[in-house]
Amino acid sequence: MKTKLMLTASVISASIMSVAFTTVQQPKPWPVPEKNAKMANPVKSSKESIAAGKSLWNLHCASCHGKTGLGDGSKAAQLKTQPEDMTKGAAQSQSDGALFYKITEGRDDMPSFKKKIPDAEDTWSVVNYIRTLKK
Amino acid sequence: MVCCLMLHQVSVFAQDTAATAKQAVTPAKAKPVKNTFQSVWIIDNQTVMVPVKGTFEMDIQHRFGTVDKGYSDFWGLFASSNIRIGVGYAPINNLNLGIGIDKFDMLWDVSAKYAILKQTSGKYPVSVTYYGDLAVDTRKDAGNALFAHQTDRLISFNQLIIARKINDKLSLQVAPSITHQNSVQGYYTKNDSTGQTIFQQMKHDHFAIAFSGRYKLGDATAVLVNYDQPITKHATNNPNPNLSFGFEFATSGHTFQLFMGNYTMLNPGKNSLFNANSPFAYTQADGTKVKGGKFVIGFNITRLWN
Repeated sequence: MKTKLMLTASVISASIMSVAFTTVQQPKPWPVPEKNAKMANPVKSSKESIAAGKSLWNLHCASCHGKTGLGDGSKAAQLKTQPEDMTKGAAQSQSDGALFYKITEGRDDMPSFKKKIPDAEDTWSVVNYIRTLKK
Repeated sequence: MVCCLMLHQVSVFAQDTAATAKQAVTPAKAKPVKNTFQSVWIIDNQTVMVPVKGTFEMDIQHRFGTVDKGYSDFWGLFASSNIRIGVGYAPINNLNLGIGIDKFDMLWDVSAKYAILKQTSGKYPVSVTYYGDLAVDTRKDAGNALFAHQTDRLISFNQLIIARKINDKLSLQVAPSITHQNSVQGYYTKNDSTGQTIFQQMKHDHFAIAFSGRYKLGDATAVLVNYDQPITKHATNNPNPNLSFGFEFATSGHTFQLFMGNYTMLNPGKNSLFNANSPFAYTQADGTKVKGGKFVIGFNITRLWN
């Protein structure tokens, strides 16, 4: 009986440990080719561009990234990858070109928006809107 | 020295003017307006929208029974319903091809949709799209009781869709159409040695016009309204107009439309020719007058892969 108890305790603690290690895992690096990262945003951040970007954000991005970009959208919990907090430094410190590249190409849980947002100017407007999420 | 400075200023001013003039003669090229509609469907009609090249789409459409029986069949939701399952693909820019099957009459349909003009500021005030649909009734017909010839199974529908995005919230559309049926019911009113006269219940060609509108309540929610008016007058069996209204909810890959309307068939040609449900007060076969029309609840779900 004692052996059984010890075995059960070991299994439970091993499971807890494995979950603990999983949760502290660093996000998978997402390298952006230099030429894309350096690409300048051709769409000036204007009231119109931000409004267009916000509208697209609400339709395409908010369900995972959250209405305000915190990564707390209604679908976020079902994903393998925790959506990045777009209000913080890690996302905000990336260049416009890097954000544009990631939105366009996608990876794993993040879909490619090349065809969903077919006009590149609109994707740049989404980048302009993401800048307004900074806290 | 002062003169020199002034000259310099003048030359700078001249350069600026030249630069402005150069910009003015090469204005940014106007682009077509986007998202006149969110879906290829607006309730019972196609919209002017053609999905972007490479988009694969799946449609699931449902029309329940009529709501007039109330709670006994839960306003038609538990009555016999009509279902269509279809797919579409855009192989090149501005063209969408589709195929689907409808439960009523085991009706297969193939369709083509082509964007002819796209509303562009200073160039085209409206968007114009052609939509064509060919449907074939594939019910079993032992002994040719339903169809004397195999071509009698066909119905073709051709429509020109003209739409304008009035502003970010409101889009309006008008769509004249012609439906052709290969076979119509009839009987001899005269058949003797002096000749034959045949009475045709309906004409082979039927003209109609559809008016549709969308008003956006938010980025993902909109109100939809649709009205179809038959134009051709037939000897008998004239179809009723159709009035439908409802809501549209969109996500990145889906649109979901929930509505009420009179059309129960899930083919534009069949609906145009044979709609038996009136949107207004009507008189039943037994002479009873009924207020408020005969409506069904329905939904369209569209899933896009692109």
